[in-house]
Amino acid sequence: MNTREIKMSLAAGDPVGQELLDRLDLEAMEAELLADLDGEQPASLPLAPGAPPRHRVRRFALATGVVALVVTAVAAILGGGASRHAPRAYGAELVRFAEATPLLLLEGSGWRVQDLNESRTREGTAGIMDFVTGRPVPDESIRITAGKAGFGEEGMLPAAVRQRKVQLSWRTGRLEPPPGARRPVSRPVLGTTATIDTHAGRVIVRDQAGTHVIEPGKPGDRQMAATWKEGDYVLELRAAVPDLAAFEERLGWLTRVSSQAWLDAMPAKVVKAADHEEVVREMLKGIPLPGAFKPSRIPNEGLTTDRSQVAGEVVSAVSCLWFGQWGEARRTGNRAAKLEAERAIASAPRWPVVRQLAREGRSSETLLKLVKSMPTGVWQFGPHRWRLLPKAEGLGCARLGIPLLPRKIKRQEEHGPPPPPN
Amino acid sequence: MRFGKLYREQARAILAYALRRVESPEDASDVVAETFLVAWRRLDQVPLGGRERLWLYAVARRVIANARRAQGRRTRLAERLVETLRAELPVPPEPGGGATEVLRAMAGLGEEDRELLLLVTWEELSPSEAAKVLGLSQLAARSRLHRARRRLRRLLEEHESATRCSPRPHTEEAR
Repeated sequence: MNTREIKMSLAAGDPVGQELLDRLDLEAMEAELLADLDGEQPASLPLAPGAPPRHRVRRFALATGVVALVVTAVAAILGGGASRHAPRAYGAELVRFAEATPLLLLEGSGWRVQDLNESRTREGTAGIMDFVTGRPVPDESIRITAGKAGFGEEGMLPAAVRQRKVQLSWRTGRLEPPPGARRPVSRPVLGTTATIDTHAGRVIVRDQAGTHVIEPGKPGDRQMAATWKEGDYVLELRAAVPDLAAFEERLGWLTRVSSQAWLDAMPAKVVKAADHEEVVREMLKGIPLPGAFKPSRIPNEGLTTDRSQVAGEVVSAVSCLWFGQWGEARRTGNRAAKLEAERAIASAPRWPVVRQLAREGRSSETLLKLVKSMPTGVWQFGPHRWRLLPKAEGLGCARLGIPLLPRKIKRQEEHGPPPPPN
Repeated sequence: MRFGKLYREQARAILAYALRRVESPEDASDVVAETFLVAWRRLDQVPLGGRERLWLYAVARRVIANARRAQGRRTRLAERLVETLRAELPVPPEPGGGATEVLRAMAGLGEEDRELLLLVTWEELSPSEAAKVLGLSQLAARSRLHRARRRLRRLLEEHESATRCSPRPHTEEAR
C-alpha cells in the first residue's frame, strides 16, 4: 500500500460522515447548553491545571483498535434509551440571557428591582435596571435653569429619596473613559476593575459667556458612576450616595445570579420574554383590529421590558395599521375602508390598554391628538397646519415596519425596516 | 452573543471530533458538553478569526485525555445530545477497502502521532493547523507527520507479510 492509498483508506475509515452530522439539529440544543451554564461565570474562573472534568468521559479507544470504536458506537447508538430531558420554564430566555443580559442583582439587604427595560441596538442589546429600597422612587426629571445667579437645576429629588435608588445599565460596545470624568478612582468589581467617576451626572452648558458645568448634588449627596467591561458588554452602576464608601458598598452588593433567580427577582410590572405573547394577547382585548393585523406586528425581540413599554408598542402598532389603511383608502378613494379606520381610531381613548396607560400616568397624548385631527386630515398647532400622516409617523410606525408615507413605504420595500437606534 | 455563535458554528465539528475518538455516543455527548463549558468559562481566551475550532479541538482533546468516570451530574446538553444521537444516527458503514487494516495499524502508533494523522485526515486540517491543536511547532508537526506516515506504512507492510506467512484458517480450507 503506497502513501496515497494509505491516506485514502484512512479517510474512508472515518466513522462520522458529514451527512450524518447534517441530520442533527444541534442548534435546537443550545437551550440545554445555556441551561448548563446557568450560574456559571464566563471567562473569569480559571480552571485549575489538570482539574478533572465534572462529567464522565472515556479514554480514547483507539489503542484497542478503531474498528472496535466503530462497532461499539454502533451498538450504543442502536441501544436506544428513554428521554431524561425535562423542559424548562424559561427556555427561550435562557438562550438569550447567556448572550445578552448580565445576570446581576444588587443583593443589599432590603433592596429590590423596581424596573427593567431592555432594548435592541445596532451593536446588540442595552438595558437599564433600577434597584430601590423602601418606597418606590420616581424617575427624576432635572431641568437646567438660567437666572441672574447663573445656571442651576430644578426637579431633583431630595437626597434621602435619590439615595434609595441604584441604576445598573449595560450595552454592547467598547469601554471608553467617561468624558470629562473628575476625580476618577479604580475599585474592584466582580473579579475585574471598575473606574468610578465620583462627580457623575454633571451637565455642561455653553453660551456666549463661556462653558458652565452644573453639578447635581452637593457634598454628602454626590452622583457616582462605575463603569467596567464584562464580555461584550459595558456595564455602569450609577447611584447618588453620601460618599465614596457608600458607593463602594453598593458596588460590592452586585452579585452574579442564575437566570432563574434573576427572572424571579423581576417585579410584576416587568414582562419577561417568555410571557410576552400572552401579555400582548391580553392587551389586544377590546381593541378593534384592522384586517392587516397579525400578532407578529407587535415586536417581540426576546427582551425583558417594562409593561408600559409593551403597551406602548401594542397601541402604536395597531394605530399605525389603522392610519396606514386610512392613508391608502384616501389615495384610492375607498370610502368604506376610510370610514372603518376613522371609527376604529376614534375609539382609541376607550381602548383598555390606553386607559391602563393613563391610570399609570402615561398618557397617549400624541395618539389622542391624532384621533381628534383625523376627520379633517390636518394636524393643527396654533396657526400652523400639517398633513396628518407625517405626524402619525411620530408613533414610530416606520420603526415598527408599518410606514405610512409613500416614500417610506418604498424605502422599506427596498431596504426593510430601519435598524434599531445606536 | 459571541458564545451562542461559537456553539452554533462549531458544535458539529466538535461532536464529529468526539464521536471519532470515544467509545459511545454518551461519552461523545459528554465531551461536547464539557468542551463548551470550558469555552464558556474561558471565553476571553477563545481566539477569533477562524481559529476558534482549533482551540476547541485542543480543549476536546484535553477533555478526553483527562477523562474520569462519574465525576458529576450529566449535563442537560449531553442528555439531549445522546438522545438525539441514538434516534438520528444510523449504523455507520463498515470501513471498506483497506480502511480496516489501516485503522488497526494506527493502534501501533504513538498517541500524538495518531492524533496528528487523524486531525489532517478526518478533521481535514493542514499540518500547521494540527500543530496548533497539539501545541507543537509547525516544523515539528510536519516532521512528525512524515514520520507517522512512514511508520504506519511499515506497520501495514509488517501486517501484510504476517498475513501472507500465517496458515489459512481451517474453515477457509474446508470451503
